[in-house]
Amino acid sequence: MKESSVMEIGAAGLDARKIVADIQATVRKKIEEGAYADARIARAERTNLVNLKTDDQFLSFYLKCLRDSVFVDISDFEIRERRPVLAPLLVKLKKCIWGLLKFYTYRLWSQQNQVNGLIVTAIEGLDEKYSARIKELQDRLDKLEKKTSSS
Amino acid sequence: MPKAQRIAFVCPRFAEGGTVGGAETLLKNLADRAAAAGRQVDFLTTCAQSHFTWENTLPPGRRRIGNLEVHYFPVDSRDASSFLRVQQAICQRGNFTPPDEELWIRNSVNSTPLCEHLRQHGDDYDRIVMGPYLFGLVYFAAQIHPNKTLLVPCLHDEPFAWLSIMHNLFGGVDGFLFNTEPEQDLARRLFQVPAEKCAVVGMGLEPFEADPRAFVARHKLNSPYVMYAGRREPLKGTPLLCDYVDAFRQRTGRDVKIVFTGSGQIDAPPDLQPHILDLGFVSEQEKREAMAGAAVFIHPSVNESLGIVLLESWLAKTPALVHTRSEVLRWQCAQSNAGLWFANYPEFEEELRLLLEEAPLRNAMGAAGREYVQRIYSWPSVEKRLFEALDKT
Repeated sequence: MKESSVMEIGAAGLDARKIVADIQATVRKKIEEGAYADARIARAERTNLVNLKTDDQFLSFYLKCLRDSVFVDISDFEIRERRPVLAPLLVKLKKCIWGLLKFYTYRLWSQQNQVNGLIVTAIEGLDEKYSARIKELQDRLDKLEKKTSSS
Repeated sequence: MPKAQRIAFVCPRFAEGGTVGGAETLLKNLADRAAAAGRQVDFLTTCAQSHFTWENTLPPGRRRIGNLEVHYFPVDSRDASSFLRVQQAICQRGNFTPPDEELWIRNSVNSTPLCEHLRQHGDDYDRIVMGPYLFGLVYFAAQIHPNKTLLVPCLHDEPFAWLSIMHNLFGGVDGFLFNTEPEQDLARRLFQVPAEKCAVVGMGLEPFEADPRAFVARHKLNSPYVMYAGRREPLKGTPLLCDYVDAFRQRTGRDVKIVFTGSGQIDAPPDLQPHILDLGFVSEQEKREAMAGAAVFIHPSVNESLGIVLLESWLAKTPALVHTRSEVLRWQCAQSNAGLWFANYPEFEEELRLLLEEAPLRNAMGAAGREYVQRIYSWPSVEKRLFEALDKT
C-alpha cells in the first residue's frame, strides 16, 4: 500500500471503500510476487477456509501457502538451555536424548513429509482438473446461450 | 394515546447481570424504552441463564425490574440428542428432511407455560414483540397471535435461515423490526417479505467519553493493542482473530498485544498467549476505556445482525476491522467510513499495518465512527423508528 494514496484519501475525506479497494489491489500484486507464500499464513487461514470456500482465488492462494508449509523441517537444530543453573549438563543430556531418538524421528517425519507432499499434490491436481472442467462447461454454456439468443 | 399501549416482549433470556447476548440486550433495551415512554410493558422470558445448558436456574414468577414487569417461565424438558443430531446436519448442510426440521425446532428451547400465558392473556396486549428467530420458543409463540406479533429476527445468512419451516415464521407475523438494511434485504430475499411489513429500527447507544490513556496506564501496556469484546467461540471468529494476530506479530515483527473482554475460552496459538490480556467480564467503564485505548477494534464474526460492540468501539473513537463475509458489519463500516474489511490474511495484514502506522487516518476514522453512531444510533432516532413501527396499523 502506497502511503501517499492513503494520505490523499484521508485529506480529501474518508472513503473506506476506496481504501479497501487500494489494499485489495496491492494484495493481488503482492500475491503474484509471492510475498504471502508463507507457511505461517497457511496456518492462520485454517479457520478462514470455511468462510471463503466458494472463493476460487482464495483456494488457489491457500494451496500456494500450503505448498510452502507442507514439509516439516527435520534437519538437526542447535540445542540450547535457557536456565543458567546446570546448563552445560542439561545441554549434554538433551543432545544425548536427541542422538538416541534421531534415527526413529527422522524415519517418522520423513514418511510424514512424503504423505503431506502427496496429499497437497493430489489436492492441487484435483483443483486444476475441476477448474479446467468447470471452465470448459462454462464456455459450452456461453456458446449455447449465444446460439439460443441469436436463433 | 399511542395505539400500542400494552406491549409484551418475548425473548428466551432476560439480559441481566451475567446473562449477556446481543439479541437479549437489544430486546431488553427496546422494552425499557417503550416502558420509559409510558407504555405498559411485560417482558416474558424463561428461567434459564446459560445459553449452553438452558437449565432453569431462576425461580419462575413475576418480578419488577426497573420499568419492566418481567415474567419468568420454566424451559420445557427436551430431547437434546435429537436436537443436536439434526442441528449438526443443518450446520453441515447435510441431509435432513422437513420432519427433521420439525423435530429440531420442537427440541429447541421452548416454554409451554410461556406460550400458555400468551394464549390466555394475548388480548391484554396491543403488540407482541419477539426475537431472535431461531428458537423454538419464538417460532411457536409467534403463531399464537400472529396478527399483533412483530418479529425482531436478528437474522443473518446462516444454515438455520434457509430451513423450510422458517417460511412459516416469517410468512405469518404482522411485521418486522430489523437492525440494519442488509438484514432487511436478506429477509426479503429469503422469505419474500413485503416492504410494508418492514422497519429498520436497530438499538440506541448512549454516548460516552472514555480516556484512552486510563486503561493503558492501569494495565501498564507499553505496546499498541487491538481489542475484541464479546463471546469467545468459533462462531464469533475468535480463533481466526488469534491466528491472524499471531501471524501478524511473526511476519511483521511488531509487538502488538490483544485485549479480550467477555466470556468463553480463548483458543490461541502458544506463541500468542503471553501477549493476550484476557479481562473476562468487566465494568462498562473498563470496557469503554479499553476500547478507547485500542489502536483497532477487531470484529471477525461473519454472523452478525447489528454489531453492538462495533458501535461502542466507534463511540470510543476507535476504528474497526471486520470480516468481509459479515454483510452487516461491512455495510456499517462502509456507511460510516470508520472501518475496513478483510477477506483473508494478506488483506488483514495490510489493513492492520496501515491503521497502526497512520495515526491521522486512524483518528479520522475513529471520529467518523463516533459521528455515525450519534447520528444513526442515538436513542431519539431509534425511539422514533421503534414507536412508528409499534403503532403502525
